[in-house]
Amino acid sequence: MVILNSVDELLKHIKEVQLDVITLSNDSLLKMSDFIEKNSIEIDEDLSTALQYQDIITQQLNATIEAIDSMQQSMQRFNHAYISDENLANESMSKLQEKLRITLEEAKEKKDRFSGKTADNSAETDEIEFF
Amino acid sequence: MPLVIFVDDSETALASTRMVTNSMPIEVKQYTQAQVALAEIQGGMTPDLIITDLNMPVMNGFEFLQGLREVDATKRTPCLMLTTETKAELKQKGKALGLTGWIVKPFNPAQLKQAITRVLRLPA
Repeated sequence: MVILNSVDELLKHIKEVQLDVITLSNDSLLKMSDFIEKNSIEIDEDLSTALQYQDIITQQLNATIEAIDSMQQSMQRFNHAYISDENLANESMSKLQEKLRITLEEAKEKKDRFSGKTADNSAETDEIEFF
Repeated sequence: MPLVIFVDDSETALASTRMVTNSMPIEVKQYTQAQVALAEIQGGMTPDLIITDLNMPVMNGFEFLQGLREVDATKRTPCLMLTTETKAELKQKGKALGLTGWIVKPFNPAQLKQAITRVLRLPA
């Protein structure tokens, strides 16, 4: 299906941009932390939190990249079924919709999981918990 | 000086912890792969405290913790999980595996210092 090929190309592009953003933010943070360490600058809570956001950004972007990978695989399977037998197309479309729905649910769940204290649960997670 | 090892697949996360521990009277070793840290422990390294991330490729924090508990020298070594995860069921799993505590990212530097000081019984 031509439309799916276009969507696939778009997803591929989004994934490439996200990977570039991860690399750039990673490099940026490492350069800043090198500077801080070389100059023995003591960091306060705000600066520490700001530096740690990079890790959360990377995890969030990686989770969306995984969702894109999953979408691409589902679309490729649908495309394959559609090409081999058009009668299977309707059935395959339902399966594709279901797979994309599951992918979205999983991606949203990961967004919450990887947010740490930046999520709405900050009050509950403010203290270190000892067992 | 007590040896503290940090395990996190994110170099930037390790850099953030390093900035906190630089001024502490501890020796620090950092690893981006849990399986490498575990191999060194199996080879004879005896850390006094282990601080690990949970979500890591190849070997996650729980698998790492299980591996640590199979080594005589680290059967009871204190271990803290430093992660973005906040789910109660994950904390329960960690507790059942012998985890000492749970720290949610982004961590507060003063609290991380306090936690290390408390677990290692360093002078405050």
